[in-house]
Amino acid sequence: MSAARWRVALSLTVAMMTVYFGFILLVAFDKPLLGRVIAPGLSLGMLLGVLVIVAAWVLTWIYIRWANTHYDRHVGGLKR
Amino acid sequence: MIGTGEPNLVAISFFLGFIALSLAITVWAARKTQTASQFYTAGGSVTAWQNGLALAGDFMSAASFLGIAGLVATSGFDGLIYSVGWLVGWPVVMFLIAEPLRNLGRYTFADVVAARLRQKPVRMASAVGSLAVIAFYLIAQMVGAGNLIRLLFGLPYEAAVVIVGGVMLAYVLFGGMTATTWVQIVKAVLLLAGATLLALLVLARFGFNPLNLFAEAARMYGDGVLSPGRLVTDPVDAISLGLALMLGTAGLPHILMRFYTVPDARTARTSVGYATAAIGFFYLLTFILGFGAMVIIGRPAITQVDAGGNMAAPLLAAAVGGTGFFGFISAVAFATILAVVAGLALSGAATLSHDLWVNVVRHGEANSREELLVARVATVALALLAIALGILFKGQNVAYMVGLAFAIAASANFPVLVLSIFWSRLTTAGAVASTFVGTFSALLFIYLSPAIQIDVLKHETAYLTLRNPGVVTIPLAFVVAIVVSLLWPAPEEARKFHALEHRLHTGQ
Repeated sequence: MSAARWRVALSLTVAMMTVYFGFILLVAFDKPLLGRVIAPGLSLGMLLGVLVIVAAWVLTWIYIRWANTHYDRHVGGLKR
Repeated sequence: MIGTGEPNLVAISFFLGFIALSLAITVWAARKTQTASQFYTAGGSVTAWQNGLALAGDFMSAASFLGIAGLVATSGFDGLIYSVGWLVGWPVVMFLIAEPLRNLGRYTFADVVAARLRQKPVRMASAVGSLAVIAFYLIAQMVGAGNLIRLLFGLPYEAAVVIVGGVMLAYVLFGGMTATTWVQIVKAVLLLAGATLLALLVLARFGFNPLNLFAEAARMYGDGVLSPGRLVTDPVDAISLGLALMLGTAGLPHILMRFYTVPDARTARTSVGYATAAIGFFYLLTFILGFGAMVIIGRPAITQVDAGGNMAAPLLAAAVGGTGFFGFISAVAFATILAVVAGLALSGAATLSHDLWVNVVRHGEANSREELLVARVATVALALLAIALGILFKGQNVAYMVGLAFAIAASANFPVLVLSIFWSRLTTAGAVASTFVGTFSALLFIYLSPAIQIDVLKHETAYLTLRNPGVVTIPLAFVVAIVVSLLWPAPEEARKFHALEHRLHTGQ
């Protein structure tokens, strides 16, 4: 279970870093792409930035769900 | 004109109201603060939503509220880079740090690093890393407070700094973590409510559609405000800033300390969920506030009041809600600084008393009573230090100082903390070397960077072109820890790692 805990934690960390650094790398290397206006008042960069925030919410939610159901039940068993 | 140093009666009344409420909380909390455990961690009795709000409160400092709104108002999209970076640190804290920290430690994050290593060297090194972070973060908050009060209430800068130091001292000295947590919760609720109301008032002028607001900004200032601009011009610097923002959160002593105030790992985890939700929502709001100020107040008017744009949010409140609302937002901004300074002082006191006094000077043999006394003495010393630093660093750029604190936290504390949790072969020598190299390389790189050499010291050129040290110093700290640990292995310490694994998961 310890291995499963770290596997889930590390995959989610890698997912968060991929999403975030994808965004940062675009800021670093392709500013014109992010500056492209896709709707009046909305650039691609703003949309992606907001999506990174949403991704952070979704990933924390996935982790809490997983840990509260699977991990805690197992740890509860260990304590007894 | 509002916000240029005229005493504002409404702001002063709101502010005095907040002080009265927070001191009442302190009096109530003081009765519950009799032992070291109650002083540092409120006896571990904080619930998930309380801790979530307190974490969010610790994080939504004046730098994020005033600074990011100002940054968005003056440079548009670029402010979003900071918001996003500061938020994504939270999931990382949750996945990697929060639960092991809760299960392995008691009062400071050094408890976790020192759990299976030699106490004294590890605690001394961690104390250096922690105190460096706390000092720079304190400077940022005190300078921000001084400027804010001068602008809002018409008080002299120095008087403002002394007031902040004095009120903070009262919270921490008498009420310990219980008072600090509740002040933080009250402030977080006020800040979220105030920012939400302000954003709604702004959006009401644009048909409740943020896109209309952004489109108006683009019409006034060009499409450039919607795209990445001058803030991060160099790709390596962008990555470096991103790394420090993301990993710095996991190395801030006053944030890490909050995981000891909850009863178990499950509560710690859930509280980070609440904090992430609240902080993300808050950053989305600041983005709207920044653009609102840009359109409604106009950039020239904002930078005229404060060159850094830090007054964008209060000015916006005055424009859409009148003097009363301006007073409310100003008081909330000031309460924010007070609460964050209190949290910082408390974590500094824990480092000085728990890590240095009890475990280094007294070899771990001081009783709770003595530890509490030393922590209180340390709090007084830190309050005086904070006041001195605030006056000494008058005129420094607030957001930059916070960035500095994050860079040091990410380089000095984060690598050692993660390795001590995940890597059985980390040794005492590796941990100590990594903390020192991380702290001092970050300080050195910052000193040699254009931000200090050109902007502060007014030299023609800088020794380095890199403005943010993270991309070099964070990997460097990891490499030093790993190389030193492998070159001088300590099998005994590795064996203890496996003995600790059960406690890491169960807390028992």
